[in-house]
Amino acid sequence: MDFIREYYFDFGVMGDNFGAVFDGFLLTLKLSIISGVLSLVWGLVLAVMRQLPGRPLAPVRWLTIGYIDVFRGVPLLLVLFLVSGFLSAAQAEDVIPRSIGIPEWFGQTAPFWYGVMSLTLTYGAYMAEVYRAGIEAVPRGQTEAARSLGMSHGQAMRFVIVPQAVRKVIPPLLNDFIALMKDTSLVSVIGALEVVQAGFDVQTAEFNGSALVLGALFFLVVTIPLARVVDWLIARQQRRTSRSGGDDGGDVIEVGGGPTPAAGGRAAGA
Amino acid sequence: MAEQPDTGGGETAVDPSHYLCLEGVHKRFGKLQVLRGVNLDVRKGEVVCVLGPSGSGKSTLLRCINLLEPPEQGRILLEGKEITGGNASDSADFVRRRVGMVFQSFNLFPHKCALDNVTMAQRTVLDRSEKEAAKKGRELLERVGLAEKAGEFPERLSGGQQQRVAIARALAMDPQVILFDEVTSALDPELVGDVLDVMKELASEGMTMIVVTHEIGFARDVADRVVFMDGGVIVEEGPPADVLGAPKNERTKKFLGKVLEH
Repeated sequence: MDFIREYYFDFGVMGDNFGAVFDGFLLTLKLSIISGVLSLVWGLVLAVMRQLPGRPLAPVRWLTIGYIDVFRGVPLLLVLFLVSGFLSAAQAEDVIPRSIGIPEWFGQTAPFWYGVMSLTLTYGAYMAEVYRAGIEAVPRGQTEAARSLGMSHGQAMRFVIVPQAVRKVIPPLLNDFIALMKDTSLVSVIGALEVVQAGFDVQTAEFNGSALVLGALFFLVVTIPLARVVDWLIARQQRRTSRSGGDDGGDVIEVGGGPTPAAGGRAAGA
Repeated sequence: MAEQPDTGGGETAVDPSHYLCLEGVHKRFGKLQVLRGVNLDVRKGEVVCVLGPSGSGKSTLLRCINLLEPPEQGRILLEGKEITGGNASDSADFVRRRVGMVFQSFNLFPHKCALDNVTMAQRTVLDRSEKEAAKKGRELLERVGLAEKAGEFPERLSGGQQQRVAIARALAMDPQVILFDEVTSALDPELVGDVLDVMKELASEGMTMIVVTHEIGFARDVADRVVFMDGGVIVEEGPPADVLGAPKNERTKKFLGKVLEH
């Protein structure tokens, strides 16, 4: 028992390495927030492209569906290797400028930005499916009302459908954000010193897992409150739905196209 | 009411006695033939009530007129201009600038307050300024008796209030014609009267209206003409006193017999 306590909960080790692990966690946070915001935007763009009307735009819809299928269907780790490998090779061959091939924007390292790109490519696809569920859950009568007033498809989407859809899918989007945050640990494999890597370095050097446990605690400080917020939002929407009879936009969408936090955790163990 | 700007070159003046013409309109959903050749001429300022059993194609007829469901066969002419065939999106714009619609299920925008429901399309479609749209919106909400509800969201309004906001929303676009699709069918009985009163007032002001309804009393009192539909065609039409008082067609008699029993 003592060994378990010492291996995982050595406060000395935690204290000595607090700074390094905390710095790693800050990087994790930056990766999560930047990738999270970009994924939210990219996912919405994809979802809207998928709903474009009319036969002439069918190729755009097919391409979008193809993109979403591909990036939902391959591991993030593979995307990370492909993105980082391609960009560094392409700039070495002078196909693309160095500032893009080895991006060091805003004082962050190239692995950081490769991570942001890969996370956005992948989670954009997950979130596009969540948005789609939201868009499809807006009653048809809303589109018809907007169109009967003379609004174009684009205006109806922008002013009527998407605002309602987004409200419905905030909980599943937050779930995807939690999963994304955990998946940022994968970026360590291409050289980002985020919190898991920082803790693992300590474990390797000192044969002690306490720094990793400290890293886990940092994650939980963010993810547990977020999970509670999701629960609260769902409960609130359900109350609204039951009050209003459920026909005017209070529906709850719990399952989106994205991974549940549990599935994201499995990926992080790859 | 201001005349709409002329949109096509060299059009003749609109003939008010043939403001809206349907010629042999057919509509099918998959294997189900819903409209089987509907002919209807609507005069400017006329109130036409469409009656008929459910499934007779009444709602589909309205939805064909404003091209929510484009007909497969036949022609629809509005102000003498054919809106079926040709460029679908131009036609839809042309129709929807002139024809408003009120739905059975209200379809108010739940994320917007009553006033914003009435101003949204004014601003996005007609490019009215916020101030101008709000002024018009408040006038219309007052007209439907809901001036004090301008800031309320739809979920806090009764069905009857929501439907009156929906009427104000349609009126805000200065339509030449309004289509009413069973607008009182989803309402509690005690709320029906307020909505019908607003519609009566519109009718008395000379609005062109096509009203799909089960309210026989409204049809009798307000309609200039009653149209009875069954099986996707118009089986009888005429002044309300004739169609409702002395129906000639067997199906009309049967339907009215059933409706008036209750």
